[in-house]
Amino acid sequence: MITVKNLHKSFGENEVLRGIDYTVHDGEKIVVIGPSGSGKSTFLRCLNLLEVPTSGEIWLDDTLITDPGVNIDKVRQRMGMVFQHFNLFANLTIMDNITLAPTKLGIMNSEEAKEKALSLLNRVNLADKADAYPAQLSGGQKQRIAIVRSLAMNPEVMLFDEPTSALDPEMVGEVLDVMQELAKAGMTMVVVTHEMGFAREVGTKVLFVDEGIIKEENTPAEFFDNPKDPRLQDFLSKVL
Amino acid sequence: MSVSELFRIAFIEKDRWKLYLQGLGITIEVSIFAAMIGLVLGTIAALMKLHTNRSGKITIFGRIADVYIDVIRGTPSVLQLMIMWFIIMSNCRNGILVASLSFGINSGAYVAEIIRAGILAVDSGQMEAGRSLGLSRFQTMRYVVLPQAFKNALPPLCNEFITLLKETAIVGYVGLSDLTRVANQISSATYQAFMPLIGAAVIYLIIVKLLTILFGKMERRMRQGDNR
Repeated sequence: MITVKNLHKSFGENEVLRGIDYTVHDGEKIVVIGPSGSGKSTFLRCLNLLEVPTSGEIWLDDTLITDPGVNIDKVRQRMGMVFQHFNLFANLTIMDNITLAPTKLGIMNSEEAKEKALSLLNRVNLADKADAYPAQLSGGQKQRIAIVRSLAMNPEVMLFDEPTSALDPEMVGEVLDVMQELAKAGMTMVVVTHEMGFAREVGTKVLFVDEGIIKEENTPAEFFDNPKDPRLQDFLSKVL
Repeated sequence: MSVSELFRIAFIEKDRWKLYLQGLGITIEVSIFAAMIGLVLGTIAALMKLHTNRSGKITIFGRIADVYIDVIRGTPSVLQLMIMWFIIMSNCRNGILVASLSFGINSGAYVAEIIRAGILAVDSGQMEAGRSLGLSRFQTMRYVVLPQAFKNALPPLCNEFITLLKETAIVGYVGLSDLTRVANQISSATYQAFMPLIGAAVIYLIIVKLLTILFGKMERRMRQGDNR
């Protein structure tokens, strides 16, 4: 579904991604881990062109999305993204946060969007917050809303950029639960995270990104129990 | 002469209070038109200044906005008004129109920087979230970033509109009888400066106070989303 070929990204002199090749298939849950500054978030942000790659190709099915002629807004409608800092629209109610994109992009009329939003809010047990503003919610609630906001667009793939890193420890669980449920429902997911338990349980493949390349890629069981790359062994010994 | 006699001469005699009211009307008319023009021009100029191309460089739009802001901020507004009246729009003898345009263009340069600061104060994650959902840059600006930017900009915008209101006291240069000019004319006609000038000052003060209260209300209403 997503194919990445020889992806490079530099910020000025600083080469963050140094040639990444990878293919995400339909229904896979790819978990990306790595030390900070390894380029894992940049890699994820390149997938929907929030960062424009310096070179390389990214394909979404048959569309070369790194081609400058491609309508990137259309591509992004097919890919949801969840951010570390939630990024809910601070000036809008929860309901308007969720319905803004579907209605303004002409995908649903306002009734359909509201109905969809309510059923999604029910799924995460937050229907009573529909008229609240983001500032009135806890971090865990905000992140669940952010996931719902992306889902309202019926994306084919969801990208998660450290979705639990900015949360209080006691709120991590409620967000991971939603993600796990989403995974069970068959969503294709790419998740950058430090939650090793989640990687092991939910991931179909785990990637270790370091120094701008994929150093190791394996099934969760092999990845955690039998790591081969020395840098990964060192990393796992520190975080597990 | 007693205070009440001075008051009578300045305000009651020959129904002079009507002149102040007419003057105040012109002051307010020019201020409102100019504020609207300034807000629109300023927002456009701010967006032009923030316009970047794919590699993040400022475009030709930004340079145009820079020139506009430089020229307007670098010259006295009374000169801008006279240039507008005697040169650029010398065929148009509608003083209200010329003054509104001139002050609007002047105010726009200051509003541009106020709005730009307001936009820059909005977390960049808001734009990223909008774009990640497939909304265009313009749509995200319109529905998400600008509303928050205006909220950020309200206190300095209030400042700017107060300055604008008082600055219209120079429209006498193009023959408009605004509040200041009326007061000046009455003090000349009656040989009594105290009451007309102090009276006009008090009226300005009241209007500015009302404006401040109005902005305070707007700010509270726009901050409702911030309540915890």
